[in-house]
Order: sequence, then structure tokens, then C-alpha cells
Amino acid sequence: MSSSLLRFALVGNPNCGKTALFNCLTGARAKVANYAGVTVEKRLGSLAGLGRPAELIDLPGTYSLYVASPDEQVARRVILGEMAGEAAPDVLVAVVDATNIKLGLRLVLELQALGLPMILALNLADTARSRGITIDTAMLSQQLGMPVVETVAVRKNGVADLQTALAQCARTAGSRSGRLALPERAEAVEHLYARIDTLLASSVSAPSHAPAWQDRLDALVMHPVLGLVLLATILLLMFQAVFAWAAPVMDAIDGSMAWLGETVGSLLPAGILHDFVVDGLIAGVGGVLVFLPQIIILFAFILALEDSGYLPRAAFLLDRLMRGVGLSGRSFIPMLSSFACAVPGIMSTRSIADPKERLLTILTAPLMTCSARLPVYALVIGAFVPQHTVWGVFNLQGLTLFALYVAGIVSAALVAWVMRGRQVVSQGFPLLLELPNYRWPNAYHFALGLKERAWIFLRRVGTIILALSIVLWFLATFPHAPVGATLPAIEYSFAGMLGKLMQPLFDPLGFNWQMCIALIPAMAAREVAVSALATVYAVGGEDALGGALAHDWALPVALAYLAWFVYAPQCLATIAVVRRETNSRQATVIFTAYLFGLAYLGALLVRHIAALWA
Amino acid sequence: MPHTATPLHQLPKGARATIVDIASHSHFGELDAQVTQRLKELGFLPGAVLQVIGFGLFGADPVAVRINGTKFGLRRSEAAKILTSVHPA
Repeated sequence: MSSSLLRFALVGNPNCGKTALFNCLTGARAKVANYAGVTVEKRLGSLAGLGRPAELIDLPGTYSLYVASPDEQVARRVILGEMAGEAAPDVLVAVVDATNIKLGLRLVLELQALGLPMILALNLADTARSRGITIDTAMLSQQLGMPVVETVAVRKNGVADLQTALAQCARTAGSRSGRLALPERAEAVEHLYARIDTLLASSVSAPSHAPAWQDRLDALVMHPVLGLVLLATILLLMFQAVFAWAAPVMDAIDGSMAWLGETVGSLLPAGILHDFVVDGLIAGVGGVLVFLPQIIILFAFILALEDSGYLPRAAFLLDRLMRGVGLSGRSFIPMLSSFACAVPGIMSTRSIADPKERLLTILTAPLMTCSARLPVYALVIGAFVPQHTVWGVFNLQGLTLFALYVAGIVSAALVAWVMRGRQVVSQGFPLLLELPNYRWPNAYHFALGLKERAWIFLRRVGTIILALSIVLWFLATFPHAPVGATLPAIEYSFAGMLGKLMQPLFDPLGFNWQMCIALIPAMAAREVAVSALATVYAVGGEDALGGALAHDWALPVALAYLAWFVYAPQCLATIAVVRRETNSRQATVIFTAYLFGLAYLGALLVRHIAALWA
Repeated sequence: MPHTATPLHQLPKGARATIVDIASHSHFGELDAQVTQRLKELGFLPGAVLQVIGFGLFGADPVAVRINGTKFGLRRSEAAKILTSVHPA
């Protein structure tokens, strides 16, 4: 009937498999953007095959339209059309975990009161069936007055019925504009649940009983002592993997970059163009590209832990511990995301209801070692720490990396503890953490998530890192050394001058001017420090650069450089997101100042302690 | 029926109990009504049966329970709001 864009929104409880379903429906056509004015990720994808243009919005998981954390408020505002410049969706696709149907249906009944056309997707239908839960979808559909379909987001054809229902809906639904009003809570929660019990009595058989292995696994995972041992083991394995498993692929990338440099170099005549392509472009971009395997492994671990249902259990275990420093188990997930990147980590603090705790989490999350620090750590560790095997299993390099991660964690705890000050907790905020069923991560969903992360990294390499490499090469090349110069050419360049200008400030830390100059582009992205060093030392390839550093830097200074990177807020994107999320200039200034202060102090201490030791 | 309601945080591991009431608790101050509402929304309603499945590292805090087939982690102060009648073992 109409060719106007029809907008579907996916709504459901956290952990109902909503995002996996979204990925199945929209495939590679999804894009991630931000809502105007707020830094909440908006996942949007087009829906094909409905006979008219249609798009699907994936909303943050929510339990209720009425009581809301900042995260849930976003879902509510989108549903009601309160987001700037966006009307309410035309159709709601409510997703309910079929193994956890009661909790999900409560939200469905709340949504129904809004009067929008709705479709109910009973996700994880296969798991429910294997547990002996049978759902009479026709009956449920009749009683609810909306189409009800079973979905299995894990399987390829598991969403076929939902697609049919969407298409049917597309034929009849009109697109709307404007806002909806949230009706006064029509009935007490007790009544809603009573209605749900009646509904379920006629359409669902067999009580939901999780298989015994889930409980047995929980007995281990949530055991106060064994659970923590398991958590430590998982984290250690993660860091070990980042170092050991990535090595062969990294060597291959490094090798092919060196080959590319040589091949292209031999084709170009000696001169400025040759230098630009080989030393500027290939060395600069290749120096960062080589860390792609490590970043993929790190994200693979985080995604798998997230999808399996493990993370809320880790939050449960750590809650008491984190409360001791003014945080809570809820801060654990933003903290863990910050190991990949502080920007999404800080954004995910929206699930923290307590404003004080949220601020503390924002201010300390960037102390978690993000993936952009990894290239810097890897370079310096590779150059200065020998490949010993310790205690038969661990690699000394891997252990050093682990120590750097621990330094970040311990510092975050101390900073939070100090910042919390003497404040007496007058008012509590609840934890109320759902511990979802364990499930195998969905391979498609997992692969798509990894692809997304890899793509974000490659886009950075192709844009900001490429641009900075060019700028740096220019600074390091011009002006040329005067005729008859005795020092290396770079000492006469802009980069040399700038580095020497900064150097007195960093002299107490032992940093030479090359180390100083690398700090400037690292403000845009930490990993650019690596390509900056490659450019100022005029060497390509990780091994060659490592060799140059090992020759030029003293060990205590190299360690001080690492300490600097543990703390320094060397990332404009993080500072910007802190500003937006806290909406406070004062908090942002404190954030930036305290981290630079810690970086300076940390590097100073490390240098002198290491010098005493050595 | 002799009916002494036991707050959830005092139940031992493995215990099964029926919720009799959600009480108010000074710990949450003015947010208390909201916390009660959220607990109810998650299914912690009088009449519902729950089971204690585990505890955090230090002294029963937080506590993990199963209710309506779903597991939740609750702090001591949240659990203290939930008054239960324990099933005989």
C-alpha cells in the first residue's frame, strides 16, 4: 500500500538474545550510529524482502517502562518517540526468552498498553523445547491479540517465521509520526503477574527447569573461592593468548609489510617520493596494522564471555570487593569493556543507577589497559623483556604484560577508594543483577561482532593513523639537514625541534626527544606512538624498530615509558566521551589532570626504582 | 499457622521459601518504593517460591536466588526487604 519507510523496534529484557536476533534479521546491513545528543549506540539495520522499505532498531535491554536505569530510559524514550528528531516506531517486535517467559511477558503486557501494533518473538524456542517446555503459540497469540512466532536466533532459518510475520505486518501497518504518551501504570504488578499466570496456564506446559549442568556449573563459577580462581585463570589465559597465539599471524603481517616496503621501494626511484611511500606510508601504517591479530583475540574473549552469560556472574563475585572502593559489581562490565576500549566502556556505565558510582566508574575505567595501549606495550616488551619461560608454563613477556594490566586495575581501585573519600553511604542503590542461563555463543553473532571490531580498527588505520603517519613523516623530513651536517637528518627537522622543545619537561623521566615526539600523535590514538617511533627512528618492521629501541633506550627509561602509558589519558576520544557522559567540565578537567599527574609520577618512580635495581 | 517471616538474607544456601511480603528498608532512603517496585517487576511477589543458590565471597553478600526459573544476584540490603516463610527441608 505505502512505500514510506516502516520502522520496527526490537524490545526485550536484557539477555533475551535480542541482539543475536537483530543480527539474523538485518545481517551485514546493520550500522551503528549514535542517537542525536546522547552517546548511546543506536543499532539500525534495513529489513529486506518486506515489499516496502523498512528498518529495524535494536533497543537497549529493559525490564520495564516505568522504573528505569539511564540505559532503560533510552529504550523508553525511543519507544515513546521522545528522542530528538525521531518519531515513535511503527511496530514493536517484543522479544521474550522462551525459557524465561514470565519475566518477558510482563514487559509485553506493559508495551501492549501503548497501543502500537506488536509482534511477539519467542526466542530460544529450541532450548525451551529441549527442556520440555511446550508453548501453544496459536493459543497465546489469540489471547494476547498479536502474532506470536517462535525464533531460534542461532539457526539460519530460525527467523523465517518472524520474517513472514514482519512482511504481513508491513502490508497493513501505516507509518506514524509524533510521540506517544506513557499511560499511567494501568494495573499493579501483582495483577499483571496474575494475568500472566492465567495466560500461561492455558498455553504453556511444563515448568521451566534449567538443566542440571547449568546449576552444577554455577556451583563452580559462583563459588566464593573457586569462582575467583576461575576468573583469574580466564583473565590470565586471555592475556597469554593475546601474546602467544597472535605471534605467528603478526610475524606474517610484519613480513609482508617489509616485503611490500622493499618491493615498492625498488620500483620507485630514490628520492622524496620513495621516502614518503616507504618510510611514511608503509612503515607508519604497517607498524599499527600488525596489531590487528592481538586486538581480534582480545575482542574474541570479551565477546565470548559476554555471550555465554559469564559476565554477570563475575560481577556477582566481585560486587562485595568492588563495593569496598566505592564501585559495585555493575562497574565490572564497563571495566572489562574498557580493556578493549574505554569509549564503549564509559558508555556502558549507563546501566549503573547510582550517579556517584557511575562517575567513579567513568573516571577510573580508562585505567584499564585498552587495546590501543597494546601495540605500545608489545613493542617495548618485545624489545626489552627476554622470551624466558617462567615456572614451566608462562612466558616472561606475557607475565610482564599481565603485570601492566594488574597495575592498571590496582591503580583504578586505589583511585576510586581515594576519590570516594570519607563519604558515608547514606542511600543505597540496588544491585538486582540477573544471572542469565549459560549458552553457547552464537557463531554468526560472534563472527559479526568480531568483524565489526576489526573493521573499526582497520578504518582507524586507514584514516586517522594514515593521516597522522603522513603528518609525522612530513615533520620528520622537513626541513632537510644542511649540507655537511654531521648528525642524523631528523635532528634538523620540525619533529626534532618539537621533541627537543618538549624534552626538558620529560627529562626527569629520562625520556629522550624521540620518545617525546611520539607522545604528540599518541594523543589522537595511543597506538600511533609506535608508527611515530618507526618514523623518527626511520625503521620499518616491528623487529627492526624493537632493535633500534633496545639500542637507544636504557631499560629503566623503557619501563618508565610503559608506566607513562599505563596512566596518561593519551586519547582525545576518551576525554571527549568523559565530557559528554559526565556533562561536567570540572569532572573532565579533574579526569585529565589526575591521569597526567599519575603518569608523570608513575614514570618518575619506575625510572628511579628500576635504576636502583638494575 | 505459626508464621515468623525470615528475611531472605538470613536463609541458608539451598533453602526454599515462599515470599510473604516485600518490606520497606531504611537503607534505600527515598528510593525504597522504587526498589520495591523493581523487585516486584522481576517477580519477587508475595506467593512466589524462591531458592537460595549461592553467596558472594564475604558473608552472604550478595546472595544468588532462583525465582520463576530465573536467577538473580541481590545484595544483603535488597534481600533484607524480602520476607519469606521457609519450607521445611
